[in-house]
Amino acid sequence: MILTRRWTLLAALGTVTLLGATGCAASDASAPAPATEASTPSGSITVYNAQHEELTQAWADEFTAETGVTVTLRNGSDSELGNQLVQEGTASKADVFLTENSPAISLVDRAGLFAPVDKATLAQVPEQYRPSTGMWTGIAARSTVFAYNPSLLGEGELPASLLDLADPAWAGRWAASPSGADFQAIVSALLELEGEDATRDWLAAMKENAVVYKGNSTVMKAVNAGEIPAGVIYHYYWFGDQAGTGENSASTQMHYFKNQDPGAFVSVSGGGVLETSANPVAAQAFLAYITGKGGQEILKTGTSFEYPVSDSVDANPALVPLSELNAPVIDPSKLNSTKVTDLMTEAGFL
Amino acid sequence: MIPADPSTVTPATDPSDTGRGTVADTGAPGPAGRTDAAARVGKRPSPFIVAAAVTVSLLGLLPLGYVVITGILTGWPTLSALVFRPRVGELLLNTIGLVLITVPLTAAIGVAAAWLVGRTSLPGRRVFAVLLATPLAVPAFVNSYGWVSAVPSLNGLWSGVLIATLSYFPLVYLPCAAALRRLDPTVEEAAESLGSSAWGVFFRVILPQLRLPILGGALLVGLHLLSEYGAFAMIRFDTFTTAIVEQYRSTFNGPAANALAGVLVLLCLFLLIGESGARGRSRYARVGSGVARVTPRRSLGALTPVGYLFLGGLFALAIGVPFWSVIRWLFQGGAAVWTEPVLVQALLQTVGYGLVGAVVTCLLAFPIAFLAVRYPSRLSRGLESVNYLTSSLPGIVTALALVTISIRFVQPLYQTTVLVIVTYLLMFLPRALVNLRAGLAQVPVGLEEAARSLGKPPFAAFLSVTTRFFAPSALAAGALVFLGIVTELTATLLLAPSGTRTLAIQFWSKVNDIDYVGAAPYALLMIVLSLPVTYLLFARSRLVSVS
Amino acid sequence: MSGVRVMSNVETAIELAGVSKSFGSTRILEDIALSVPQGSRTVVVGSSGSGKTTLLRLISGFELPDSGTITVFGRTVAGPGVAVAAHRRGIGFVAQDGALFPHLTVGQNIAFGLGPALRGGTRRQRARAVSELLEMVSLRPDFAERRPDELSGGQQQRVALARALARQPRVMLLDEPFSALDAGLRAATRDIVAETLERAGITTVLVTHDQAEAMSFAHQLAVLRDGNLCQVGPPREVYWRPVDLFTARFLGDAVVLPATISNGFAACALGTVAVAPTSLRGDACIMLRPEQIIVEHCETGGADAATATACTGQVEAVDFYGPEVQLAVRLFSGGPATPASPQSAGTLSPGTVSPGTVSPGTLSPGTLIHVRQHGTTGIVAGSRVSLTARGPATAFAARP
Repeated sequence: MILTRRWTLLAALGTVTLLGATGCAASDASAPAPATEASTPSGSITVYNAQHEELTQAWADEFTAETGVTVTLRNGSDSELGNQLVQEGTASKADVFLTENSPAISLVDRAGLFAPVDKATLAQVPEQYRPSTGMWTGIAARSTVFAYNPSLLGEGELPASLLDLADPAWAGRWAASPSGADFQAIVSALLELEGEDATRDWLAAMKENAVVYKGNSTVMKAVNAGEIPAGVIYHYYWFGDQAGTGENSASTQMHYFKNQDPGAFVSVSGGGVLETSANPVAAQAFLAYITGKGGQEILKTGTSFEYPVSDSVDANPALVPLSELNAPVIDPSKLNSTKVTDLMTEAGFL
Repeated sequence: MIPADPSTVTPATDPSDTGRGTVADTGAPGPAGRTDAAARVGKRPSPFIVAAAVTVSLLGLLPLGYVVITGILTGWPTLSALVFRPRVGELLLNTIGLVLITVPLTAAIGVAAAWLVGRTSLPGRRVFAVLLATPLAVPAFVNSYGWVSAVPSLNGLWSGVLIATLSYFPLVYLPCAAALRRLDPTVEEAAESLGSSAWGVFFRVILPQLRLPILGGALLVGLHLLSEYGAFAMIRFDTFTTAIVEQYRSTFNGPAANALAGVLVLLCLFLLIGESGARGRSRYARVGSGVARVTPRRSLGALTPVGYLFLGGLFALAIGVPFWSVIRWLFQGGAAVWTEPVLVQALLQTVGYGLVGAVVTCLLAFPIAFLAVRYPSRLSRGLESVNYLTSSLPGIVTALALVTISIRFVQPLYQTTVLVIVTYLLMFLPRALVNLRAGLAQVPVGLEEAARSLGKPPFAAFLSVTTRFFAPSALAAGALVFLGIVTELTATLLLAPSGTRTLAIQFWSKVNDIDYVGAAPYALLMIVLSLPVTYLLFARSRLVSVS
Repeated sequence: MSGVRVMSNVETAIELAGVSKSFGSTRILEDIALSVPQGSRTVVVGSSGSGKTTLLRLISGFELPDSGTITVFGRTVAGPGVAVAAHRRGIGFVAQDGALFPHLTVGQNIAFGLGPALRGGTRRQRARAVSELLEMVSLRPDFAERRPDELSGGQQQRVALARALARQPRVMLLDEPFSALDAGLRAATRDIVAETLERAGITTVLVTHDQAEAMSFAHQLAVLRDGNLCQVGPPREVYWRPVDLFTARFLGDAVVLPATISNGFAACALGTVAVAPTSLRGDACIMLRPEQIIVEHCETGGADAATATACTGQVEAVDFYGPEVQLAVRLFSGGPATPASPQSAGTLSPGTVSPGTVSPGTLSPGTLIHVRQHGTTGIVAGSRVSLTARGPATAFAARP
């Protein structure tokens, strides 16, 4: 057996190396910036982007226009890219990592792959939206909501807490997208607030009660179409659709749990610069831009409808102000994505 | 072993059995032809060619090796905990249910369609013969998109069956139609003179003789079912492949994803073995001298409307619905959706990947095909089998393996175009192999020898004579690989260099944001790129069946 | 031309009347009338493209006639408003290459057509039926387990026959069943098939392009040419008394000579030969089969007028054919002028030497005649030979 293993491995190595030797050039977008000119960003950077592509593309375009730095995006989901960075380790070609939620970025942080974020950048973000370590920073925020179809669910029937959805009365009456990082972040908040056992029980009940969709948009679309009375999603899907055609949200309304309920969880999107970045100057500049006035304005005026984290920029006026949401207080760096994935695998969602 | 690959058509031909009906390679010259050629050459192959063939085949063992090795490294306790859990049972039930329902359904529909266009006098049958091959040009995930657009509530097993059946029935239809044309009509008349009615002839004579093409097609359908991601993800139907992708999204390449991949690989092997067992050793050689006679056709009489309803309905459901959806979204989007600069970039990138992948795959398949035709031996057969086996693995498994292997052992290759091309090579090699082999087998060795006797060195002789003969086959081989790459989603998603946007990736990204309008141009472009290849496929299947 | 009805006192098994068939604009069969007596073997012979296979397929029901009726044992199976499907006609059919089912064993092939009772019967019952049928066509019972592609061509044909016999048809149609076989196998298979059908008393129609096979197999021979039946009759009659030169040449070698006929005798290059029909008079042509001409070596050479008889000539070429040789003989010109004497020519049969001489006016000097000669006669090129025709010859009104 061992012999076979070694043989296969050898064969694998041999053939792949051969191909590598004869193969054409690797995609080598990130030309190293001259280390001496520390102040002016130039060259190009690769961003591992788990944020919405449209939003990051807008940031990248604006940043390129301002600095001339070329930005290449690699799009994926939070956990996928987070785990990928951990596996890539020091060989990663990524310069910057942007997430939708904090668990995945914490994962990379805990692997020690981040370089400290520039002090000036950190100064642009209030403390509650970044970890105390300063290894990464919040770049945007989003709130958990309970989207419901009023024709199927009266206002009086709305749950007071996310935890209520474990009740058998809710069987088959609510939807979620548990394979997505968004929902997994909500579960990580639950884990942080209520502990492992309670979370395990809640997930087991959810397995019984919830109808599983793929993607928050799809959940909202189903609620809107009356396929299901309600769903747990993030707020900006609703506002984004409302600002557009409204065809997937016209028949839905939002219910905020508030009361520091786990369901009122406000998730912080994170950004960090990789220690191994070949172009740290441009990478830091990009992060500084996103958290600065220019980047945050895009959150306010663009179509993302996510909350800015900077004090200097207000949220899109259409949104319920963050301060009114009465979210539970959670240190974003404590959210544990690995544990959540394990628990959800155990519950049979993955 | 049998070829298969995840996205669309694979010409399925067992290297040792050309009796199997296939899509692109229906009548590859039989083993006899090969032996002749070999007997005449009768020398040892050039060590360079052997080395190339062995290298490519060993490369093909990587994904399977990866699954086995990670399984061993994970250790039994962890592995068993990951495999023996309710979720896996759920997925097993879904996946097996899907296969058990869809495969017979596609077989029945494929055979019925082949019979209607091949053996009845239904007016318009020639048009239908082409139309019924066109679903191959619509990737299953685009078909799914079309259906979800039309019927948003589609979800679960039966929706999966619906979409898969409509997407994959041509995999049975084409080889059966080709085989029907090759059947000896006098045999059917003999049955009639022995008192069999039209139904009797069909069930007792025609159907049993179609066993090989049906089995071959059914196997392909089965393997496609196991490896399809997009089509089922869109209708919220969980199979092993969708679950692996989700695990990947949550953990990159965690042990749970690998454990699921292991089970999926077992399912694939199970299908391969099952098919090969059901096929048995029989070959159903045409016994008679094969006096060509005009194919007997039956008038459907009063059942003619039913025939039309079936063929028309099938076409409407398989092509009409997705096309209608795409057109509807395009109309809604107006000119704006076409102005997205990414569209051109994605188109160019897709065509670029397709062309490079096709050329590389054909070049690297050539030594294996050459050995198989000119120097048939246990070695050459083994090399072929390895590649068929590899391509039977779902793209997600191959991709997962190559991501991990490159990240750990060959980082210079990681996230490079080279790695993507290697993945395409592993996934689509049999498409090229089958066609190249068929083409090579048609080349008269005598001509090459004549060229050499006229003073040309062997390589020049080969170039001057052989290449001309087998150029059409090489073109078909390249076209099929191209088709596979154009509609490939999962592996490209995992492996492509940062910033890559193929049509499939862009389409998928739009669909995930339920931007159905924005996805429509990408869907249309994929179909447009695939249509000529699909027609080529159809034309070849007829050509071969006639000769 | 319509067919000749023979043996009209026997019950008719198959009757075709006014049957025509076209494919597109191509006329395949024209106004065919044919009557096949019960229990007999009728052979339809014609060159390829003559329409013989179509004729068979019309009888079997694989094609329908454009006009005319087909009657099988008194039941109209095809005709105006009638079209009995092939599987309901109860007619056995053996195709050119046997058309065995490639996916079934020999036994299963044979059992394919067994009646539902037997098909549903026990395995042993079926096996016994199959064995009996194999035996009928002189094959060992253990052939039942073989696959069709493991059989020789002749064996396949016999299995095909056994398969068709299993249904105990009253009519059997054979479409060039022996043409794919080697010469030796062909004769043997033909004899077995003929004997089997004879014993079973099955009315048989066979089509072939091989005239020797046709004549040896047939009770009744029907010659088909371009979709028309030229002649129908017993093989001997059709061979010796063909109705036209085409038929004459189609069925075998023919020596055709111009002649002047009077009183049942023809004066031709070979002297005076009895002819049939005797009614013909004046300028005509006659047809002799080569075996009707006897060649003898003349010792005295030279073409001088004194020694030359009406039927001497010089051998120009000798072609060796194993048991026989073909001689090309150039006749010397000239010959006696006395017309033939009338002498009960109507009763002459082949082998009778005609008396008298040939009128010189009918001779074309130097006529070349091909004749066949058995054995070694010592005749070589350049030999001087005398030719004697043994009548009667068949006379045709037309000049050749």
